[in-house]
Amino acid sequence: MITIENLEKVYKTEEIETTALNGINLHVATGEFVSIMGPSGCGKSTLLNVMGLLDKPESGSYKFIDTELLTLNDRERSNFRKRNMGFVFQNFNLIDELTVFENIELPLIYNKVPAGERKKLVNEIIGRMNIVNRSGHFPQQLSGGQQQRVAVARALVTKPKLVLADEPTGNLDSTHGNEVMELLCELNETGTTIVMVTHSSHDASFSNRIINLKDGHVISEKINKGKTEELI
Amino acid sequence: MFKLNLKIALRNLWKNKGYTFINVIGLSIGMASCILIFLFIRYQLSFDEGIKNEDRIYRFVTEWKYDAFDDYSNAVAIPAVKVAKNEIAGIEKSAAIFRRWSILRVKDASGKDLFKQDETIYYVEPDFFDIFGMRWLTAKPTQALSQPNTVALSETAAQQYFGNAQTAIGKTVTMANNTPLKVSGVFKDMPKNSSFPLNIMVSYETYPDKNGDCWDCVSSGNEFYVLLKEGLTAKDIEGSLAQFNKKNYADRKVAGNQVNKMEALRDIHFSEHYDNFSYNTISKTEIYGLAIIALFLIVTACINFVNLSTAQAINRAKEVGVRKVMGSLRKQLMLQFLTETFLVTLAAMLIACVLAELAIPQMENLFKGTVSIGLFQHPVIFVFMLLLVLFVGLLAGFYPAVVMSGFTPALAIKNKITLNTGGLSLRKILVVVQFSIAIILIISTIVVMRQMQYVQQKQLGFNANEVMMISLPNDSLSRLKHESFKERLLKIPGVNKVSFCQDAPLSPNINSSDFAFNGIKNKDFEVRRMKADEDYFDLFDLKLIAGKLFAKSDTANGYVVNETFLKKVHITNPQDALGKMINSTGQNIPIIGVIKDFNDLSLKENISGLTISAGKTSYWRAAIKLDTKQLFVADKKVEALWNSIFPNYIYYSKFVNENINGQYETEKVMGILFKVFAGVIIFISFIGLFGLMSFVATQRTKEMAIRKVLGATTFELVKMLNGSFLLMVFIANLVAWPVAYLIVNGWLNGFAYRMELNVWPFVLAMLITMFITLLTVSIRSYKAAVANTIDALKYE
Ligand SMILES: Nc1ncnc2c1ncn2[C@@H]1O[C@H](COP(=O)(O)OP(=O)(O)OP(=O)(O)O)[C@@H](O)[C@H]1O
Ligand SMILES: [Mg+2]
Repeated sequence: MITIENLEKVYKTEEIETTALNGINLHVATGEFVSIMGPSGCGKSTLLNVMGLLDKPESGSYKFIDTELLTLNDRERSNFRKRNMGFVFQNFNLIDELTVFENIELPLIYNKVPAGERKKLVNEIIGRMNIVNRSGHFPQQLSGGQQQRVAVARALVTKPKLVLADEPTGNLDSTHGNEVMELLCELNETGTTIVMVTHSSHDASFSNRIINLKDGHVISEKINKGKTEELI
Repeated sequence: MFKLNLKIALRNLWKNKGYTFINVIGLSIGMASCILIFLFIRYQLSFDEGIKNEDRIYRFVTEWKYDAFDDYSNAVAIPAVKVAKNEIAGIEKSAAIFRRWSILRVKDASGKDLFKQDETIYYVEPDFFDIFGMRWLTAKPTQALSQPNTVALSETAAQQYFGNAQTAIGKTVTMANNTPLKVSGVFKDMPKNSSFPLNIMVSYETYPDKNGDCWDCVSSGNEFYVLLKEGLTAKDIEGSLAQFNKKNYADRKVAGNQVNKMEALRDIHFSEHYDNFSYNTISKTEIYGLAIIALFLIVTACINFVNLSTAQAINRAKEVGVRKVMGSLRKQLMLQFLTETFLVTLAAMLIACVLAELAIPQMENLFKGTVSIGLFQHPVIFVFMLLLVLFVGLLAGFYPAVVMSGFTPALAIKNKITLNTGGLSLRKILVVVQFSIAIILIISTIVVMRQMQYVQQKQLGFNANEVMMISLPNDSLSRLKHESFKERLLKIPGVNKVSFCQDAPLSPNINSSDFAFNGIKNKDFEVRRMKADEDYFDLFDLKLIAGKLFAKSDTANGYVVNETFLKKVHITNPQDALGKMINSTGQNIPIIGVIKDFNDLSLKENISGLTISAGKTSYWRAAIKLDTKQLFVADKKVEALWNSIFPNYIYYSKFVNENINGQYETEKVMGILFKVFAGVIIFISFIGLFGLMSFVATQRTKEMAIRKVLGATTFELVKMLNGSFLLMVFIANLVAWPVAYLIVNGWLNGFAYRMELNVWPFVLAMLITMFITLLTVSIRSYKAAVANTIDALKYE
């Protein structure tokens, strides 16, 4: 599904230049669940942002199925993103002024889904996420785990082909963390491709494959046997 | 503590340079405008101040009550001058001051003119100097102007005529062609803010008509002043004045219920009905109007301040929280925030002074030198500035200080204070108020400009294109030359038509009088008596609709009247009017013709009932219709001819259309003032809006980033940010409309001929404000919408 070649990303600030990605090569198959690990500052988030079209690399190639994405202009990127990708962040990034229901509904609005259908889709996913009686609440009134479930729901409601998750359990205790991981696994089982950044090998054990980064390079890859067999 | 506050304040202001800049600019422009308006108002209020007995000095004015209307004059009948002091108890001193125009000359020993100039002169009674406490440059003349053929000069006039004040004493000035006047004193120049632009004062004894006994002749140049006895006011002598009026007017059967009234010296400049020698009055309404605009300006600027400060408050929540945890009292926090506000206000005031100083010459220009203002004119100006700083500091600083110092520390420290985005926040209301003010001014400006255009384009009913009015000497000697002058004028190539007359068809300088119609005394209106020769009608293209025009004649032998006259005497068919008699001069003269109506006064007034007749002694002007192509050449030749025929007089010429437009000078100035101040308020409002938008955009960076990740396009984001601002401005329009309607409608009612007030000025104001709003906020929201998303999402 995803083929990345020679990706380079340099951050230039007034004082220094940081090479966040230094020639990344990567392939992700359709339906795969990939974890990205590595020490702090090695470029994991940067890679995820590039994959999510939130950031532009200096050079390299990024093919999604057969489309080269790095040559798209802003509008095309934005359109591609909203049709194909969903995001989950460590810090949830919910809009404080909107209710749970409205937060989840938002991507559907931007995808121009008619109101009736939006309601149906949102309610369906709220049921799946086990947050039914919270739909009128504002984010500040929820626990961290609940907030992250809302964020996952929001990422899934458009039925994206690819979900990108950046340390989705980073702000959660282990119980809530496991809930979120199970949600992602369920999602993966229904055919959605997932790329997840994590520091936790426990979380990584839920995935099919683990990619290790260091200083902007891929230094190793490990196939998670138990999981892969399941997949086969 | 104060020093610390000051330090924190300065650092904070520096940290938020952008907002500080907007605050200071907005405030200083607002304050500068306020200062200018204050200077102007103070100057106006200072007219005729500082005269020793100013609260005991009164002017006698005359009032008439006809059945249909009232009439007013700043002057009195000549015989009143002699008897008032004796017949009215309580008058300590009285003095007539009559204005006339004359040519003055200074001759050398051989009788040759060293100097010759058309001057305004005043015949004054000697007590005038005492009443007004005039200051003498030369030793005070013991009998200043009690003798005939004496004159007192102002310092300027003395210098102009004789080099300096001392040498002028005892010298002779010749008035008209042969009246010698001996200089008996030189007085200090009158200040500019005086209703008495006195330059040359001739003894009243010299005045030829000083023994006139006509009680119903009131000529506008004849003013009369009294000084009441110590401790008395106008009220105290009302009874005595009533008796005087009864004895001299009612008992003499003077028409129109004529009476004299008294007007206090300090009210002269603000008179609505009575003119004065400086031709400079301003109504109190205009002064209040300006004061209100000043208030609008300062409120608008303060609203910016309040909006930006409260919006920023949230950024300072953490600081407040920490301080409170450390034990700071609310009072101390408020003091700190107020310190900040006062620093900004003070800085703004300094800039405002510079701006005002730069604008003063422009403002003086606008008023064509009739206004003289300066920042250092009077100590009260500094008091005003100080009060302005206090007022603005408190108005703009108090509310934000209360809000900021009121945060609960627990929430504040966690940075959990949120702006109340939903609902009706004070900020939104203030923005609506601010824009309502701007919109009211925009609408008023549009209406003032449109009405001026309307007035200038309105068909007046006569054709004055290329018609030049020149002065025409009209003493008995000059009159002998009129005939040949006219003949020779017509021979000049480029001169098409010539008519001798009193003035142009539209002119305030035409006398009116009561009259009898067919032997019956009319009580409804006064007829205006226009004098012109037989060529007048053709020259100005006045259309005859019944009867005929009068034939060449020196005196009135038949009247041509206008349609309005017929209407007012209830005649519907013009033919019926022919042959009816009008007596307005003691003589019955028949109506021989009727002409179509034309506007004989400014468009603020309705058309009057009018008679036009011959009257050689009243021809003060020659109207000359020139050929368009030879305008300039002909103009020069006319002047040369004039000077050769009337060498002792001074030539004057002006095109009629220029003169007509000159009548709307006040309105034009008002239009300009409106434009300028509307512009200033709009500017202040919009930089405030821009600041607020910047703030909102910053506040909502994270939200926008999330929305963008979820697929919002730039356009959708811009739309979202702009929406609430456009809504506010739209509401402001709705609020402003009724208020603006009342204001402009009231103003238009002052015109007899007013444009149709339709919906367009209102719609236009809406389009203008909505468009500028869209532009202002889009600049900022677009920047926010295209900004890089990720950074906003990364860190909490
Ligand atoms: N906006 C930016 N400007 C400059 N440098 C940046 C920026 N974003 C990231 N970097 C730098 O790029 C490098 C990679 O950052 P990245 O956020 O991808 O690391 P990470 O692997 O996600 O680390 P962590 O595990 O701590 O989240 C780091 O050295 C970081 O300092
Ligand atoms: Mg990271």
